[in-house]
Amino acid sequence: MKAPSLFEELANVLPRENLKIAEEDLRPYECDGLSMYRALPKCVVLPEDEKQIAEVMRICHAHRVSVIARGAGTGLSGGAMPDPNSVVLSTAKMMKIIDIDPLACMARVQPGVRNLAISEAVSQYGLYYAPDPSSQIACTIGGNVAENSGGVHCLKYGLTIHNVKKLRVVLMNGEIVTLGSDGLDSLGYDLMALMIGSEGLLGIVTEVTVKLTPKPKLAQVAMASFASVETAGAAVGEIIAAGIIPGGLEMMDKIATEAVEGFVHAGYDLNAAAILLCESDGTPEEVADEIARVSDVLRNAGATDIKISENEEQRARYWSGRKNAFPATGRISPDYYCMDGTIPRRELPRVLNEIERLSAKYNLRCANVFHAGDGNLHPLIMFDANVPGELQRAEDFGAEILELCVEVGGTITGEHGVGIEKINQMCVQFSPKELTRMHEIKHAFDEHALLNPGKAVPTLHRCAEFGKMKVSQGKPMPFADLERF
Amino acid sequence: MSSALVFERPTEHAVATTVDALKKSYGDRAVTTHAIREQHSHGEGMQDAGMPDVVVFPETNEEVASIVKFCNQARIPVIAFGTGTSLEGHLKALYGGVCIDMSRMTKVLETNIEDLDCRVQAGVTREQLNTEIRHTGLFFPIDPGANASIGGMSATRASGTNAVRYGTMRDNILGLTVVTPDGRIIKTGTRARKSSAGYDLTRLYVGSEGTLGIITEIQLKLYGVPERISAAVCQFDELPNAVNTVITAMQMGIPMARIELLDSVQMDACIKYSKLEGFAAKPTLFMEFHGTDAYVAEQIEQMKSITGDFGGSDYRFADKQEDRTKLWKARHDAYWAGMAYTPGKQAFATDSCVPISRLADCIAAAKAEVDKSGLVCMIVGHVGDGNFHVQITFDPNDKDERARADRVAERIAHIAIEMGGTCTGEHGIGIHKLDALKAEHGEAVDVMRTIKKALDPNNVMNPGKTIPMR
Repeated sequence: MKAPSLFEELANVLPRENLKIAEEDLRPYECDGLSMYRALPKCVVLPEDEKQIAEVMRICHAHRVSVIARGAGTGLSGGAMPDPNSVVLSTAKMMKIIDIDPLACMARVQPGVRNLAISEAVSQYGLYYAPDPSSQIACTIGGNVAENSGGVHCLKYGLTIHNVKKLRVVLMNGEIVTLGSDGLDSLGYDLMALMIGSEGLLGIVTEVTVKLTPKPKLAQVAMASFASVETAGAAVGEIIAAGIIPGGLEMMDKIATEAVEGFVHAGYDLNAAAILLCESDGTPEEVADEIARVSDVLRNAGATDIKISENEEQRARYWSGRKNAFPATGRISPDYYCMDGTIPRRELPRVLNEIERLSAKYNLRCANVFHAGDGNLHPLIMFDANVPGELQRAEDFGAEILELCVEVGGTITGEHGVGIEKINQMCVQFSPKELTRMHEIKHAFDEHALLNPGKAVPTLHRCAEFGKMKVSQGKPMPFADLERF
Repeated sequence: MSSALVFERPTEHAVATTVDALKKSYGDRAVTTHAIREQHSHGEGMQDAGMPDVVVFPETNEEVASIVKFCNQARIPVIAFGTGTSLEGHLKALYGGVCIDMSRMTKVLETNIEDLDCRVQAGVTREQLNTEIRHTGLFFPIDPGANASIGGMSATRASGTNAVRYGTMRDNILGLTVVTPDGRIIKTGTRARKSSAGYDLTRLYVGSEGTLGIITEIQLKLYGVPERISAAVCQFDELPNAVNTVITAMQMGIPMARIELLDSVQMDACIKYSKLEGFAAKPTLFMEFHGTDAYVAEQIEQMKSITGDFGGSDYRFADKQEDRTKLWKARHDAYWAGMAYTPGKQAFATDSCVPISRLADCIAAAKAEVDKSGLVCMIVGHVGDGNFHVQITFDPNDKDERARADRVAERIAHIAIEMGGTCTGEHGIGIHKLDALKAEHGEAVDVMRTIKKALDPNNVMNPGKTIPMR
């Protein structure tokens, strides 16, 4: 009885074609970018405005049915993976750019607007939206907010959190709140910061006011070759310690450059054990100055060769290799598993060495291609799911890398989010004390735990089972009555 | 959605027991003398009566945790104290209680040059930090004027004159150690530069004004000291021209390190107070450029062409450290200059912040309100990020003047909110801006109150501040 009345109520507030119930209509929503986990939801709703979202939320809240928000489905950690008892709320029909204020360098957009579409729309004013995840051609700003996405240029220009000024959000009970402000700061607790990166667990974002950045006049890339991964890693620290914050600072090891070179012919040095791509942007004087300083540092750090991009076409080619590293890896390996651990920069040499050791231990190849300036690693573990045991070995290898990241003072995810993929590793990174605080916050926003259940923040129960936490120590588990999501 | 917060003044007996217990544990580091309690009852803003019953000076995270835990069990309010430079009544002990003075926790715990970060105890002041890390070639840029403690700056989400380039405390804190009301010591954030794991507890505690927990350690971002720092002053005949210069510079993306506006009244006051020579009492921009030699020269050229378009004067430069210090000291002393300019008067400052595209309108509207009021007011602002202050002076014995002053402040706050901005860009809420929070955030205040209740169920952490009780 209950299920049909939910559909009836939803049908009352949504255009008929925006409520999907038939299995063939649900199939496209069965997974996100983490395609090894799949499930069909109860139904999919595609609201067209904030009012419809608020209605959907109110109805689901009344029926105690959980809601999973979905943008473009490009997430890499399973944050948008459905659950058979949930409603998937897609923002695909909310793709309007509401207004652009070029003078204040900001734009107000709906959550379903693609990341790159913002930059395209404001390009006429000499502006762009700085965070540029590799999926920017497809991923939505709503999804970026949910994951606190970064990208190649976030070393200098910040993550989503640094580039969003204000959010409108519908809470689980249908209430609409505005968080943040158009000004520099906003009053009270920083609820906007809680919302950004909360992976759809606290509310549904219906409007995003983003900060825009003036386009630099010029950008140039220095490409440096190194004889070992370790010296390349050390050079990253040297550049930053010299007080230079490049527009982008990326590293690729030999496995990655070889994979890419056969695919896009970017002009990489295949004799090098690792290469660094270091971009400088700004006015011509500033760029010339910075490139000269970067070259000095790279040379002193042991670079065997340095090439500077001479024109825009060459710069684009150098980057095309980096940006195509994932698909290129797909060409040389049936499957790959992309990690996202992030560490303090100076630990790079040590962690890269350790990954090499683990690669031998698990007998799986691993390409390293990553945002070196941020210390954000993306080891690509290559495996063949059709070979019995390889998937398990890949997962174990990945888990060991993440635990290593936490051990050196880093985090299990720099920009891809926890989702379902890294939920066990959350128990390694956070103690019960911190997780309890997170549960309290979840409870304040969503007391019945209906938003995106089972993702991002593990229950203490789950952690106890994972065996990494000593919950008992003779004491009862704290907040044993808290919701389990 | 959420019911009201409640707090009842503790009984005399409960207070006496707490004071005794603290004295027993902390000896002469638990002080009850009138002078010390009075000193810890207010910041630098308007004085509000309301003294704590005892001031304790802990030296470790564990000591802070044990004090907080004890107070939470006894339902005694806890108020953290840095250097006492807040402006919005954050420190007033509305219900008495225990003031935790962090001035004995002043260690710089670590500095990581390659990672451009450091970890400090909450009582470290920003000047102390910069002195201690000078040899590394790094610096911590956030500069609210006062030599505030890093803990206090974190708790109030401070910013300052160079937020336009380096952001606010929100952008510069990587992680915290926080003592929660139940006496647990938690760590938020990591040393990694980015993380998308879990909710952003760090930013929840940053700016919570001591109402959710006590910040005891802070992991901060640092920056390389620029090869060259150049400060310049440019004067204008008309206020709107100065404001429009700023707007244009921001839109062109000139990476100003600081750009401060002083109106003619403020400039007059500063010339007299700080004995600045060779300047006229005209609308003025104080600017600072950071970068390599070539880059700074280029920024200055670009700026000159903008100020030229708006009829600005020739530049006066201050490249030497002493000259720059004198210039910025004059800017930071603007409040005191204003007080000296109007002897016998009292003053308070508004704290509006609007999108930069509305800045010219907002300042013009504020100025019109000021002119209408007939009061002596000074305008000064971190205009690069749309933030400005109107210092409103009034005769404390003249009821009519006081009422007019309140009205001007209210009007100016209202104008900023209407233009999509906020009425407190950087001073925080404390007790003075509680109504403004409601006006700006409506339903979101309910969520904040629910969070306050969840993280501090007994409402002992700085009760009555930041979040309206009902």
